Amino acid sequence: MKRPTRRQILWLGGGVVVLAGGGVAARLLLRKRFAPTPYDDLIALVEDRDGAAQIGETVLAEVEDFEPTAMAADLRSRIAGRPLAGVIAEDASDGRLVEAGGWVLPETLGLICALAAKASG
Amino acid sequence: MGAFIDARTVPSGTVVQADLAIIGGGPVGIAIAMALANTPLKIVLLESGGMGFDAKTQALYEGTKVGAPYLTLEASRLRYLGGSSNHWGGWCRPMDAIDFEERTWMPYSGWPITKADVDRYFVKAHLLCEAGTLYYDAASKVTGDLGPRLALGPGGITTRWFQFSRMHGSVLPTHFGVRYAAELKKQAKLAVYLQANVTRLGLNRAGSAISELDVATLDGKKFTVKPKAAVLATGAIECARLLLASNDINTSGVGNDHDLVGRFFADHPCPRDNATLVLFGGEIAPYYLGNQITHGAILRAGLFPSEDFRRSHAVMASSITVEGKIELDDFGKAAVASTAAALGVDASNAVAHSLGCGMEVTPDPDRRFTLDDSRDALGMPKLKLHMRIADQDFAKYRLTLKELGRQLLESRAGMLKLNLRTRDEWVASLDWGNHHMGTTRMSADPKKGVVDANLKVHDVANLYVAGSSVFPTYGAANPTINLLALALRLADHLKGVVK
Repeated sequence: MKRPTRRQILWLGGGVVVLAGGGVAARLLLRKRFAPTPYDDLIALVEDRDGAAQIGETVLAEVEDFEPTAMAADLRSRIAGRPLAGVIAEDASDGRLVEAGGWVLPETLGLICALAAKASG
Repeated sequence: MGAFIDARTVPSGTVVQADLAIIGGGPVGIAIAMALANTPLKIVLLESGGMGFDAKTQALYEGTKVGAPYLTLEASRLRYLGGSSNHWGGWCRPMDAIDFEERTWMPYSGWPITKADVDRYFVKAHLLCEAGTLYYDAASKVTGDLGPRLALGPGGITTRWFQFSRMHGSVLPTHFGVRYAAELKKQAKLAVYLQANVTRLGLNRAGSAISELDVATLDGKKFTVKPKAAVLATGAIECARLLLASNDINTSGVGNDHDLVGRFFADHPCPRDNATLVLFGGEIAPYYLGNQITHGAILRAGLFPSEDFRRSHAVMASSITVEGKIELDDFGKAAVASTAAALGVDASNAVAHSLGCGMEVTPDPDRRFTLDDSRDALGMPKLKLHMRIADQDFAKYRLTLKELGRQLLESRAGMLKLNLRTRDEWVASLDWGNHHMGTTRMSADPKKGVVDANLKVHDVANLYVAGSSVFPTYGAANPTINLLALALRLADHLKGVVK
């Protein structure tokens, strides 16, 4: 088999760099954008914002008088800078639960999902 | 004696004398007859059917029903020697001590006996069921090699154990008629009459004691049994029917001065797929999913509310079983992924299972049987079931499920979805345990129960009722081993009082 020339290797390498760069740029351009909200810091705690919003819609159906700003303040105070995992384990331990389409969720997680639902319009 | 007699060969007008008549050849009747084998008592056991299924005999069970959905009356019991053990699933578990207590949150609760009064009979009952080495809640000590128990956070739901009647040829649990026929035939002072339908419990003129039993066969023979005492052991539906229909002396029937016979009927509702259990790690020990043969027993784990949780949350005994794997929808997958991620747990191997259950219901005097206008082939009035099931029973079971969900989250082992919410959803999912209970409930007070603590019918000197019809409350345990333990206790009592 014939060995590639130095020119061919350079073209190939350059092509790979261009394709990779294009991919990154496309992802940045096509990334779903969300309008900023006063509680983005809380929504950022969940991994899948769209999934959280979907769950949150069903939480909102269960919670009366859900006022996002007040709820966000309440959640910030509850979380108090601690890791979310610890906070929601504490919810479970203390029996603070909400239902989302029948799923039994820790209350803090459910309410953050509800904020995500509010944020998604 | 010591014979199986086809009642169709008994000349009409025959009078059979006996010390004790046992009406019904199911597990209870057979257990009592065998327990009294070495006594001097001359015993007659009267069984409606023969040694196998017969459609005309089975049709004697037909009746009508109104109200909430329920099984047809001829569907979930069998009318031949061995009774409903001829189609039981073999599930065994003694009731808990709390099941016998009066509980403020459960109306009409409280047995006139405690678990301790019946405890010693469970060993023999377990033997009769051929359920192997007796473990029950000690089974956790011998199942560790099969896998760990479900990791649950501290709380109200715990793993407890069922045992199973021995599988014959890998299919059938103990059929009492087939299994014990030979032993019954060995009893010199026992006569088992097959095809013998008791159509009337004949009270004396004062209405204070049973003096005779009318017996009829489907081919028209009629004869009489005159026992010194009788045990009615025909199942919770037929017991009520015979007591209500025997109304020639007391127009309300036998033992029914306080209008209690036939009331408080109960079964264990088993709503299908009532919840979804997701285990983030995907692993679950096999004994949760099905029967496991190990250490001389057949075992399966269930999830039960602890006594503390029942007291603190005013819930019933209702048990939870883990069933087959299921696929989650997109919403479920999102819920699992979001929750696991928030908990800091890997759920890439998560597996979902459907949950089943055996629900306990609240005693209800209006869930009852009454006599119908129509009659069966023997001329006996048929029964009408007035079926009811309370929303609060579903709500209480839902609370139990939610506690399981909470404990799964707390341990970060998994999570739970409650699949049923509205009454329509619960009712549409209903299966039943086929466990007929409650129609001749036990109480020390004649105004609150049909039989007393010794299972004697109040105000009738020599008539006893045995079987799950005497259960004042129902627990979540399968009734067979419990009714056998009570029957064996009754047999001990009869040794002292029937001479």
